[in-house]
Amino acid sequence: MAAVQYSSILDWINFSNPYDNPFTPFLSDNLPYNIAYGLWEILGGTLAWLINLLFPNNVVSTWLLCDEVCVLMSMLVFMLLIFIVAFVVVLLNLWMERKVLGRVMDRRGTMVGMKGFLQCVADGLKTFMKENTIPSKVDKMTYIWCVSLIVGLSCLVACMVPLSDRWYVVNYDSGLLIIMAFYALAPFFILVSGWAQNNKYSLIGGLRAAELMISYEVPMLIIIATTSLLAGTFNINGIVAAQSEIWFFIPQIIGFIVFFFCAIAECERPPFDIAEAETELVEGWQTEYAGMKWGLIMLGDYLRGSVSCGMVAIMFLGGWTLPFIGGTAAPEIVFLIKAWFVFFLMILVRGAIARVRPDQILNLGWKVFMPLAVINLAIAVLLKIGGVY
Amino acid sequence: MAWTYLDKYPKNLAKSLWIMKPVITVTKLFFKTMVHRPVTVLYPYEKEWVPDNYRGRPGLDFDKCVGCGMCARMCVTQAIKLIEVEDDNGNKVMRPQVNIGRCAFCGYCAEYCPLDAMTVTPEYELAEYTRYDLLYGPRRLKYDKTTEEMKVKLEVTLPSDIANGNPERRVCIFDVDKPELNDAKCIGCKKCAKVCPVNAITMVEKGVNDKGKPIVRPEFDIAKCISCKNCVDDCPKDALQIKEVL
Repeated sequence: MAAVQYSSILDWINFSNPYDNPFTPFLSDNLPYNIAYGLWEILGGTLAWLINLLFPNNVVSTWLLCDEVCVLMSMLVFMLLIFIVAFVVVLLNLWMERKVLGRVMDRRGTMVGMKGFLQCVADGLKTFMKENTIPSKVDKMTYIWCVSLIVGLSCLVACMVPLSDRWYVVNYDSGLLIIMAFYALAPFFILVSGWAQNNKYSLIGGLRAAELMISYEVPMLIIIATTSLLAGTFNINGIVAAQSEIWFFIPQIIGFIVFFFCAIAECERPPFDIAEAETELVEGWQTEYAGMKWGLIMLGDYLRGSVSCGMVAIMFLGGWTLPFIGGTAAPEIVFLIKAWFVFFLMILVRGAIARVRPDQILNLGWKVFMPLAVINLAIAVLLKIGGVY
Repeated sequence: MAWTYLDKYPKNLAKSLWIMKPVITVTKLFFKTMVHRPVTVLYPYEKEWVPDNYRGRPGLDFDKCVGCGMCARMCVTQAIKLIEVEDDNGNKVMRPQVNIGRCAFCGYCAEYCPLDAMTVTPEYELAEYTRYDLLYGPRRLKYDKTTEEMKVKLEVTLPSDIANGNPERRVCIFDVDKPELNDAKCIGCKKCAKVCPVNAITMVEKGVNDKGKPIVRPEFDIAKCISCKNCVDDCPKDALQIKEVL
């Protein structure tokens, strides 16, 4: 290390370009990483300056600001930033659901602090304070691991959805497939945890989750194939770029409607919440989970709900672009507004329609959604052959 | 196929889209309630409007009250009891005390009160920590913001009025029901004059009897009388009765 004379704090904090750093994992512009890198330059630079004041020309100060440590620490801040944004989006979803459902029922919805937003915080604190009981007859390992996997997968998939072409974790060619694959894993663990809990309600709930999955998953995947056929790629940036002229929900309006209902079923929201079904099955497959475990499961449900909305916005509503203008100064905000609009539609459906029976969801999946998805695929193929796309 | 599924519902395809009907209804209601306020009120922070003659807890104007006991007599749940208290001058007077735990909030006490000293109030938040706190003494029954509407009246139309072609409602018929003396039964004991809360009864000498002692008979000052029936109730020989105006 070259011995440099440092006199002021500004010698430590110099906001270098993160992409000049040879260890930076991103090739193109990434806003959260830029923010994280800048934050670490301020924090680490101040720390290094303070240590250097006490022990001039020490090793630790130099080490704190070397290329490797900068990348390591800014990756940690980057992870936190990505998760916190996804988390806050989910809290806003929860708040919106409570308020909109309230207005739909001609009441006010929650009113706890900040127009009701702090109700989510209060709920979190309440579930956190509750006793963490585990029934004695459950299969403990499966019981704990299933909830961890469901919550973990939900968080993972929520963080993987890009908010814009500069707000992403990984940008790769099979992005849509990977997200949908992780997304579809949760019902397996729901089934297993239903078995593990040694409770008839949980078991029925888990079996219903499996039944629900076999009914909506196939039309959903056909529509994903249709979208990638029109766009010519599985890359999410590519799909959004393909919609720069005309949003995909116009050529495949049937696919949009079917995918919308499949997305509701995917995150197990009413009217397709037959696995939870609190009026028939106590709390469905979550019956034996107490305290914060249940709170985290609810958080995971809503995280997957926000992923559903994000996928609808990406695949059919043009992602983070606006018609006629294209990109804007804040594409993340545009994307979130679209996702919230889709969530608003989901809340309206929830407020309007009663829960479907398990046999009705099978009928709906295989006799209505499936043919419609195939028709949608045929239209897309015709458009592709006709040279429109 | 999709068609076989739709066959379960009416043949008309538009009607088969029944699933959209509740969604449209809900959307309409949502936008309506976004513009107008919802029907619910945030109770502890904002309250619904109540009319002045809302039957809340009874209120009492201490100085107006004469302690006639009409409210205690009319109370359907016997929540009202007359107790002895000191007034502002230090005299012992009888005033009503209300047990809110028993009160049925019917407002009879306010309706029958001949002097409108007892009123209804719009106060309905009356929870207390102990049962003793539910006893509202004469001073505690005071209500500052008494309006004319709170002095509820008993308005009736009498059959005799209708027969005379005058179907207007009378306010408080008890004002015109007055006590009447059965002279043969009276023994001149002066008890009625003692119990009259407004001193409307004076004992008048009307000659002497066989033994040369004076005969005293009550005489009623109709303008002062409030028809409280205390004299009727306390008469030992049932010589007094209320003459009703029917």
